[in-house]
Amino acid sequence: MSGRELAAALLTLLSPLAASAAEDTVPLPHGWLGTTSQWLQGLGLAFGLTNLVLLAIAWRNLRQSGLTPTVRGWLLVAVGLVPLMVAFMSFAHGLESSATVASCGSCHVMTPFVEDLHDPKSVTLAATHFKNRYIQEKHCYECHSDYGLTGTLSAKLAGLGHVWRYTTASYTLPITIAHPYSNTRCLECHGASQKFRNSPGHPKGEMPNLMAGTLSCLVCHGPAHPPQTQAASQ
Amino acid sequence: MTGRDARGGLLRLAILLTAIFDVMALVVLVRNRPIAFAIFMFLGQPLFLAAVIILGGAMLADLRAKDLL
Repeated sequence: MSGRELAAALLTLLSPLAASAAEDTVPLPHGWLGTTSQWLQGLGLAFGLTNLVLLAIAWRNLRQSGLTPTVRGWLLVAVGLVPLMVAFMSFAHGLESSATVASCGSCHVMTPFVEDLHDPKSVTLAATHFKNRYIQEKHCYECHSDYGLTGTLSAKLAGLGHVWRYTTASYTLPITIAHPYSNTRCLECHGASQKFRNSPGHPKGEMPNLMAGTLSCLVCHGPAHPPQTQAASQ
Repeated sequence: MTGRDARGGLLRLAILLTAIFDVMALVVLVRNRPIAFAIFMFLGQPLFLAAVIILGGAMLADLRAKDLL
C-alpha cells in the first residue's frame, strides 16, 4: 500500500467527513456527514483494530489466569461479539465497493476499458455514459448486470467467476462478453423515457423488435467499448 | 494433556482464527480488491464461524467440568 493510500484510509478511519470533503470539489449539501459506505468503512476499521487489541488482551489473560469468569467475558466480546460487527461492516463495504469502476479496473485486463471511459476524445457508448454521468456511479455494474434480485445474484456469481479466471490466468484474450448484450439493460433506464420513445431514430415499427431484443441497441449505438483487439493489446 | 489444557489450547486456536479473520476484514476495508473480498467471503468468514463454534464448545465443556451446567 502506498503512503497516500494509507493516509486516505487513516483519514477515513478518523473522519468520514474530512475524507469525503477532501476528495471532491463538487459542493456538498449542508450538513454533509459522508456516505453510508464511508461510515461503514470508518467504523469497520475502528471495530477491526479494536478487536485485535481485545484479542491480544484475551490471549494474555487466558495464558496468565486460565479460563476464569473474567476471561470468559473477554473471549465472548473478542471472539463472539465484536467480530460480528466487523463481519457485517466488511461484508457491506466489500459488496458495495465490488461494484465500483475502480474494483472492476483493478484487474489489469480491464485497464484499457477503464482508460477509455476517462478518455475525453472517446465516443464509445460506455465512455459517453461515463463522462456525461448518465449513470451516477457503479458504471460497469449498472450496464453489466440485470436488474432485480436475480440480476444482482447472477452478476455477483459472474464476478466470482471473473476473479477465479483472472487469478488462475484461465482467460483468453481478447476479452469478450460472455453472452450477447441484452437490450433489457438499456431499456431499464431508457425504455420509459419520452426522448427514447419519440426519437426519430426509433421508428414505431422497430419498437417491438427493440423491446423483444431481436434488434440489438448496439447495432446503431455501438461500439460500447474500444475494439477488442485494440483494447487487449494495450 | 488434561481437559483443561485442551480447552485452553482450543480457545487460543479460536483467538488465532478470529485474528486471521480480522486481518482479512481489515484488508477488505482498507484496500478492497475483488480477490481480497472473495478470500474474505469464502475463507475469512468460515474461519470466524469455526472460531465461534470452538469458543462455544470449549466454554460449554468448561462449565460442565465445573458442574456449573
